[in-house]
Amino acid sequence: MTQNKRILIAVVILIVIVGAVLGVDVLRRQQVTELEPGSIPIYFEDRLATGFKPDDLAHLEQVSFVDAEEGKTQEGWLLRDVLLLHIERDVFRDDTSIVVSSSSRGKSVQLTWAEVDDADNMVMLDLSGRGALKLVSEKIERLDVRDEWIQDVDRIEVIPQ
Amino acid sequence: MKERYFSTFQLILLALFAALVVVAKIALRTPLQMPGHSGIFWMAIVIVAAGVVPKRGAASVVGLTSGIIAAFLGMGDFGALNTLLSYTMVGVATDLALLLLRDPENPAAGALAGTLGHFCKFLVKWSLGALTGAPVGFIALGLLRAIVGYIVFGALGGLLGALTLKALRKAGFFAYLAEKR
Repeated sequence: MTQNKRILIAVVILIVIVGAVLGVDVLRRQQVTELEPGSIPIYFEDRLATGFKPDDLAHLEQVSFVDAEEGKTQEGWLLRDVLLLHIERDVFRDDTSIVVSSSSRGKSVQLTWAEVDDADNMVMLDLSGRGALKLVSEKIERLDVRDEWIQDVDRIEVIPQ
Repeated sequence: MKERYFSTFQLILLALFAALVVVAKIALRTPLQMPGHSGIFWMAIVIVAAGVVPKRGAASVVGLTSGIIAAFLGMGDFGALNTLLSYTMVGVATDLALLLLRDPENPAAGALAGTLGHFCKFLVKWSLGALTGAPVGFIALGLLRAIVGYIVFGALGGLLGALTLKALRKAGFFAYLAEKR
């Protein structure tokens, strides 16, 4: 068999595999056409990328810290881990903006990926007693006291710079 | 005494390449915000390993070894199993591709082997996501974008590996290796 024929066969194999993946994906997308109820939308470049479901948290490790203001233990999941469940790490740069907001509270906070990615900052989503998620942090100054926390988070936006 | 498939010297070389894969993944960063861009370093190293140790299974050994190292270092965002499987399958798929394409020094063959090997990493992530129902990064950004990223950077890495092998041959590295054996 000539080398050209071998290369052609390899290209055909690659095309078949890519076609199979795209075909299966189309079938899967037909089953899930819209955001599930209770999901928090994650936008990427103004486009709805996916919905983050509370069930997704089962895949993540829990973290906690004691907040300096009231001395209560805040327990939840790192925002970094939540984002990486949906968006590949390669896409983020240190200056990529992450905007987390709550329409019901009229609050939002803009963070950089460097801040979110630093586990020491403890930027995390904490499940409140009402079952809603709030964004808290141990060390980010604009998010380290109760008044600055984003309660009832209902939108996460990733804005590449 | 029965001769072993890989000599100790070859195993040491493959282990070094495996370590290099992990180091490249940790240390080398490109400003590209594209899924799979690390494949440009990754596949270059795997293709060079397959060329320097021209035996079937060489790339798989590099993949498995780097997978074990990476899993122990806690690399990857989807757990140790995902890391181990994806690293290993990069090697296995590269070996399978080279079984067909034969010569990793041929730029087209190297690029295609790199593409198939790197795409297999994507397949592992995608399959695990599909099987477990867990979301996996790239899907949110559009599957096609991720596929194109993995293919392009895998091909570039494979091409880089093939060119490196050519340069090594030109520099007399393979003659040097033959002498050492």
